[in-house]
Parts: sequence; C-alpha cells; structure tokens
Amino acid sequence: MAGEIRPKSQEELEEMKMPYEEYCRKAFAPGNEWSKPEPLKGIRWLSCTMYIFTPHSAANLAELGAEVIKIEIPRMGDAMRHTSPFNEAYLYPLHDTRPMTGTGFGFLGANVNELYLSMDYHIPEMREVFYRLVTMSDGLTELYRPGTFDRWKMSYRTLQNINPRFIYVWGGGFGYGPKVFGGSYDILGQAHAGFASITGMHEHMGGHATKSTNWVIDWASGTLITYGVLAAIHWRRKTGLGTMIEFSQVQTPTRFSGYSVPIYGRFGIVRQRWGNWDTQLCVHGIILCGKSDYPDAKNPQERLEARYAMVSAFQDTDFKELCSIIRRKDLYEKYRTHKDRVEALAQVEIYTALEKWAADKTRSAVVKQLTDAGILASPLMNHRECYEAGHYKARGTLRWLEDPLFGDVLMQSGHSVGMMSKTPRRTNWIWRPVGGDNVKIYRDMLGIPISKVEEWYAKAWI
Amino acid sequence: MEKGHRAEYVALMTEVPGEVRRMPQKREVEIKSRQDTLSLITPEIRPWPVSPPPPPEEVKKVYAKRKAEEFGQWLEDNVRFEYGFGKAEALQGFKVLDIGLWRLGHKFAASLLGEAGAEVVCIEPPTGDPLRNLTPFGREEYMLADKETGEKCGLDFISEMVNQYSVTLNVETEEGREVFKTLVRHADVLIDGMLPGYMDGLGIGYRQLKEINPRLVYCWVGLRGSWGPMKDRVSRYGQWELEPFAQCTNAYAHSTGFPQDQLPRGKGGDPTRHGVWLCDYVAGEQAAVNILAALYWRDQFSNEGQFIEMTSAEAMMDIQDFDFAWYGFNASIKSRTGGWDPNLNQYEWNPCRDGYMMIGGQSDRLWYRIGMCIERDYPQFGRLIHEDPFLKEVGARNALHALIKTYTVTTRWLREINRVEAEEKLMDYEIAAGPILYIDEVCEFPHFKYRPWIYTCETDYGTVLYPTTPNCYQMRTPHRAKWLGRRLGKDTYEIYRRWIGLSPSKVDELKGKGAI
Repeated sequence: MAGEIRPKSQEELEEMKMPYEEYCRKAFAPGNEWSKPEPLKGIRWLSCTMYIFTPHSAANLAELGAEVIKIEIPRMGDAMRHTSPFNEAYLYPLHDTRPMTGTGFGFLGANVNELYLSMDYHIPEMREVFYRLVTMSDGLTELYRPGTFDRWKMSYRTLQNINPRFIYVWGGGFGYGPKVFGGSYDILGQAHAGFASITGMHEHMGGHATKSTNWVIDWASGTLITYGVLAAIHWRRKTGLGTMIEFSQVQTPTRFSGYSVPIYGRFGIVRQRWGNWDTQLCVHGIILCGKSDYPDAKNPQERLEARYAMVSAFQDTDFKELCSIIRRKDLYEKYRTHKDRVEALAQVEIYTALEKWAADKTRSAVVKQLTDAGILASPLMNHRECYEAGHYKARGTLRWLEDPLFGDVLMQSGHSVGMMSKTPRRTNWIWRPVGGDNVKIYRDMLGIPISKVEEWYAKAWI
Repeated sequence: MEKGHRAEYVALMTEVPGEVRRMPQKREVEIKSRQDTLSLITPEIRPWPVSPPPPPEEVKKVYAKRKAEEFGQWLEDNVRFEYGFGKAEALQGFKVLDIGLWRLGHKFAASLLGEAGAEVVCIEPPTGDPLRNLTPFGREEYMLADKETGEKCGLDFISEMVNQYSVTLNVETEEGREVFKTLVRHADVLIDGMLPGYMDGLGIGYRQLKEINPRLVYCWVGLRGSWGPMKDRVSRYGQWELEPFAQCTNAYAHSTGFPQDQLPRGKGGDPTRHGVWLCDYVAGEQAAVNILAALYWRDQFSNEGQFIEMTSAEAMMDIQDFDFAWYGFNASIKSRTGGWDPNLNQYEWNPCRDGYMMIGGQSDRLWYRIGMCIERDYPQFGRLIHEDPFLKEVGARNALHALIKTYTVTTRWLREINRVEAEEKLMDYEIAAGPILYIDEVCEFPHFKYRPWIYTCETDYGTVLYPTTPNCYQMRTPHRAKWLGRRLGKDTYEIYRRWIGLSPSKVDELKGKGAI
C-alpha cells in the first residue's frame, strides 16, 4: 500500500511528531551549512567574465560547491570593482601594486567563493596556459563580443577539439542576428525588452517608466545561464558530450513579462504601466499613508519614506471587511464582484478612498488596524527594517560573514537563495584581490615554476 | 479619466533593409467608451509581424563589418532557433510534479524544467487554479477559449504553463491522497506551491513522502517562508498573500521608483512595485537551479533526494546588488533614484521628445564618446561637462551632484530629439544605448524577430504569440516551448493510466467521489 508511512526508528518517530515549523528549522539548520556536502563538488568552471550578468552565472555554481576560477585582466581587474554606490563603499586593496585603490561594493555578490586568476589572453604564451585550464575544466562562461574569442582561437570551435566534454557559454546582449555586435547592460535589457514600459506610474498618475533598483536583468539572466549549464551537465552525464550555449540577456525581461506579449499578439493591446496597483487583482496595491512611522528620525529615508503600506483584499469577503473598516460600505455595494472592482476606473475610486482613509494615520496604524481585522497588509520595509525584522536573521538569509581578508560584511546573497536540507549553499568569502590565487593555480594546479610566474607577473602578463 | 476627443498615435519601428525608420501613423478617433477603440486594436489592422524580419543576406553584411562572417555562419549553423526542435532534450526522462495555486514562482520553475525536456505534470484541484481566472482589468474578452470545450483561461496562466500536462486531483480526500502518493513514487521532483505546512498537514509533505520515495527532490516555493516570524500568511477569510508582498517586504519597492525630489509625492514620486510579479519569477528560476543541483548530487553521489525551500522575497534579496551590505557598512538605506543608477555615470534613462532614451557608458573611453556625440548638436555639453575637473575622475562622477549635473545637461539635448534620432546618433559612436520600447515595438524589433525572441505557438487556445526562452540557442540540447496552456484536466486519463495504471472507469469512479 502506498499510503502506509511508518517511522523506521525512534528518531524518525520524533521527527514525524514535531511541529512543522520546528521540523523545517531542523532540516535546514541555518548556520550549519558546512557540516553538509556541496552538491556540485568536483565541477570546475572558468569564469572569463565582467560586470554582473555572466559573473553571477558562475558564482551561482560556486555557491553550490563548484570550483570556479575567475580570470581577470591583470592589475585592473573586473570593471565592476571600480564601481560603488555614490562612490562611498570600498574594501582595500584592489591589487598588491595598488594598495590605495579598493574594490567597490558594485562587485559584491557576483563572484563569491571563487579563485582569482589574472591573465592577458592576448599573449600567445598565455593562450597555451588557457588551453591547459580548458583540458582540466568542465566549462567556461565568457562575455566578449561575438567573434572575439574566435579570433583568439578560444571559441567553442577550437575548444571542443581540446575537450569534447567542455560546456561553453557565451553570455551577452543580443547574440547572432542583425544586432550581433550591440553592447548591452542590465539597464538596456530593462529598457529595450519591455520591462520599463510596464513598470512605474501611469502617465495619468504623473509617472515615468521606472527602473528596478537593482541590476535585476543581469542577475536574473545569469541565473538562467546557471540553469542552462546544469541541464547541460545532466545531458553530459548520459552522453559524455559538451555543448555551446549562446545566451542573450536582453531576451530575459520579455520572457518574464507574463501576459504582455500574448495579449498584444492576439488583441493588439499594448500593455501600459499601472503603478502600484495590480492589473489583475483589486484590492492588491500600495497606498500612501498620511504620517511617517519615524517623524523624528535623522535619516530622510526613515523620516519621509516610512509612509507606504501594501494592502490586499481582492476576495469578496476581504473586500467587504476592508470597506467596512474604512467606513465605505457603499463601495462594497457598488463593486460586489471582483470583475467589477478590478476595472480601471473602479480601481481609481477604491484606492483614492483607501488613501483618504489613511490620510490621518501612520503606516503602522494602518497595517495594524487591517491586520487585526484579519486583512493582509504590510509596511513597505526598508533595509534597516528587513535587517531588524528577525525573520531573515532567524532563517540565516541576512547574516554577517567574517571574510578571511576583508573582515565583517553583512551578506544578503548566497544563503538566501533557497535552503537545501542535505546540500545547502554557502558563502565562504566575498572576493579576493585581482590575481589573489595566481600562485595556487599557475604553480599548484598547472605546475608552472614559481620563477616563471614571477616573470609573467613582472611583465604584467598575469 | 477624461473621455472625449483624442488622437491616437501609433509609432512603430520598422526595418527597411539596412536602416531603421520610424513610421508614424495618426488617427482621429472619437472615444466615448472603450467599445470605440476595440475594433481598432485587432491584429487585422496590425498583424504580427507588421514587417518581415531582416533577410540573412543583410545580417551577413553585419558579420562582415567585424570580419566575423565565417564565425557568424558557424554560430547560426549550430545554435539557430529553428534547428532546436530537431535536437535532443537535456532533461529527457525526468518526471516532475507541480502542485500549487495562485502564484507564478512554482509555475515558472515547472515551466523551466518542462522547457528543458522533463515530463511535467501540473496538478490542480477539480475547481482549477484561480490563476486561470485572472485577466487584466477583469475583461473576459481577453481570455482565450479552448478550441474543443470553449473553456476560458487567462493569459498569464496560459503563458506560464509551458510544456506541462494538466491533471486534476483533490488531495483533501483520502482517495486523492492515495493517488498522489502513488504518483510521487514515480516522480524525481515535486514542486510544492501550496501554503506553508498545507501538504505536511495532509500527510503528504516532505517528511512523509521521503519514506515512500527517498530519491524525491521536494521543493517548496513560496513568498517569504514556510517557517519563521514573517512566514506566508492567509487572511482571516482564506485569501492568500501574493506578490508584490515579497517586493514590499525585502526593501525592493522601498528603493525602486522616483524620489520626491524628481516627482511630487503621490504623483509619481513614490516607492514603486515592479509591473509584473517579479520576485516570483526570480524565485522560480533559482528553484529550478537548486532542483537540478539536487538531482545532480542524487545521481552522481548519494542516490538521495532532499527538501528545498525557496522564497520570492529572499531570492530577490539575494540579487539586490550590495544593498544590505551597504547598510551594514555605514547604515545607508538605499534611496530611490528613478531612471538613474547610483553606481555608474552615465547609466540611466531620461525623457526625450517621444519617450525615454537609455544611455550607458562609464569608462573614460565611453564617457567621452557619449560627450562627443552630444557636443555635435549641443556644444555647451563639452564646456559644462568635459571641462568640469570634478567630472574627469571615473569614481567621482558617481557622486549624486555629479549625476544631477550630467543628466540635466544630457536631457537638455534629449528633449529636442526623438528616440530613433537619439539612437542613431549614439550608435554612430558605438555607445550601448537604446530607447525604451513599448510591447508592440518589442514584438516588432528587427533583431528580436530575426532570432526570433517573439514567436508563435499553435496551442489548444489557437495561435498565441509568446516570448521564447533565452536558453533556446544551444548546440546540442536547446530548451523549447512545445505547447502553452492546457485546459483543466486535459491529461487526467492519460497521465493516470500511464504513470500509475488507473483505468478510465477507475478514474471516473474517483471523479464521482470528488477525488479527481
């Protein structure tokens, strides 16, 4: 019988009787990651990458236990090392020849756990070393303009002969086709592929096309590459064959845009921005409350901005209760079915009424009153509130990491990407200086004499 | 919103071989209600594609510009989209079950596994996933009808149900749970998109299922957690907590949007949610990554499945750049910067005459090239920007006042010109720049049509225009969408027969008992 599930030991019996939440906490055991194995151990990946998009695709493997070798331009390193929010957060040094230059926080999160190698591919001697790395690795990710690696005899056309198991990823903006040489950034993806046109306040609300606060298309596309790589690795287990993946990040936002493309194709409707409300559910939106939760705070992000709440009551029962709380039972009478209240003009009327009701209240008073009545509401939390909320701390998703070189860093990445009960992700270090692992790789892995390594270093080949 | 006399402008980017041209059309339309415009926006007036994709000979000329003709041809021969349907599937043989309601996270994870070739079965209660009923502004005319039964379904559901079979099952009945457990014996992966502890409470959570299938990879995909102080909630009346709650409780919405210095509060200068349920997509793709990693560990090393939990809020938190580390560094709370990026200059979009223009280029080389381009029309740019000693230093250019100055002067140039003009001028200097495109322009963009990133699929709901997956350009095992959407329970008889040997009369019997 399929239905009979019996515990096989005392331990399992206890496990079965545990409250569910306690069971989850025990199964995932945040903080205990290093007592468990890494799922991708033994995979070695070369990351010939810069910026966020392609680096993230490799770091995603490194968080899962793959050995990832990040190859950078000698001395300068990844361009992202030279970026930081408003130029204010750096960790030192960038490189041992430049102690007064740091690596900026723009570089954070996209290259964790990796080994840092520097190499100038232009030098023919270096190319031979690169080929040695290819024979010893499972695959690589690169982001150069199409044809560049081919010109250097480093494209898949060449490498598949050196290592038939090799999985080769090109990640860029556009890929083959009329715009093949078009450069791209995260923001170009957001702009070009539809995201910007459907995000932000509608022009009737006074708004403009709005950019995501983060480089979301870089990161999200990087993740899709990781997914493609893992699927290819599964195929290789069966066949022993590698492959080449050509991945264009500008395509990702279109794939993520839900009904936008189908509705245009069938009905010719061009989806527009709908601000903080939802096109398919009402009430399900963000409202402005009259008073800040922290009127005396020094930081304007607290003093001025702690005024927004997310409110959701789209089911009939919830909407009825919401209307009675805001003393607008007439709205419930007028819009009794969801189909009625999700219409555009109905939404305008309903959210206006909600904001009017909230006009003399603080955000927390609004959230409390609704939550006490059993309605779903949340404040729009800022970074401090997320940090102090306890939820993310208890789950280990926001945690302090003692980096071996740079000291304490509050990390949001790695441990937040899903918990795995038997092979959890982990963050060992945030990054290392440019070429920080040159000796480890050139001598300890490839057997190149240290005098040679020093010679290359002096010539800035590495 | 006002009704009455209004002109409708339709601007399309169309490709004439070799150049990009703007085709403005203007129509005078008397709009008294939306009925008046419905007849104008049908594909009969603007069918897709309005113009054909550029021919291969034109594209060859592009490759030749950088002496990459041979490589370009090799690339097209090996990874072209059209060849994908004749190639092998990477995850052939893996069996996946997906059970869940309302949300896109678990659905997207299941779609990704399906696109890579796994056999994915989507399990819905006999009443169906409520997501099937969602349609923009409640308009039933924008739902699609199944060709056989006439059953209507919303477009979000159809487009997020790629390569998935549809079966119905009521796991709240004893018989339904027996059927479910028998299915699980055959599954490699179970994706759970139900409320926290729901499956466990029914005796079909991970800790029970691992006893009947120790190789099972069980992945719960939710909003903030199935455990912890802020775990996923339901309202007193049973309403689920959905996206954008994740965006609102991980500081994403706090720092997205225009600041009140740029637009008045309440009129655009507010924290802003993303247009789509973005965190669900991010959680879905990372769930698929973790599932494949878990399967690799199972097949390569341990022969054991495991329990995974993925949430929308945290998956997005993972990729919120450095934001939380910055808070840890000096207690900064990242503010909103509208269409600008606080880390790079230039790297933004700003309004131009007919929309918005995105410009990017931070290194000295690109920064001065952008300047040279603008200076050609607007000589003051050189004097005000290039000659400012403060702006000469790469890092210093990212200070807030430096962004304000640079973008004010850039917008002074942009406001005189259209998107296409700005793009042409910037392309002359090989700047990564591009206009903000609306969805119709996205669908008509020559490069996107050539690849194609927008494609048609003949589904059970008729022909549907859909965005292809970015993983469909591969040499050996490209991912692909074979079908989209599926009416509720279309595959019930087939899957129950093939997976667990239930005869049609047994299925009917269980249906009668309300179990299927």
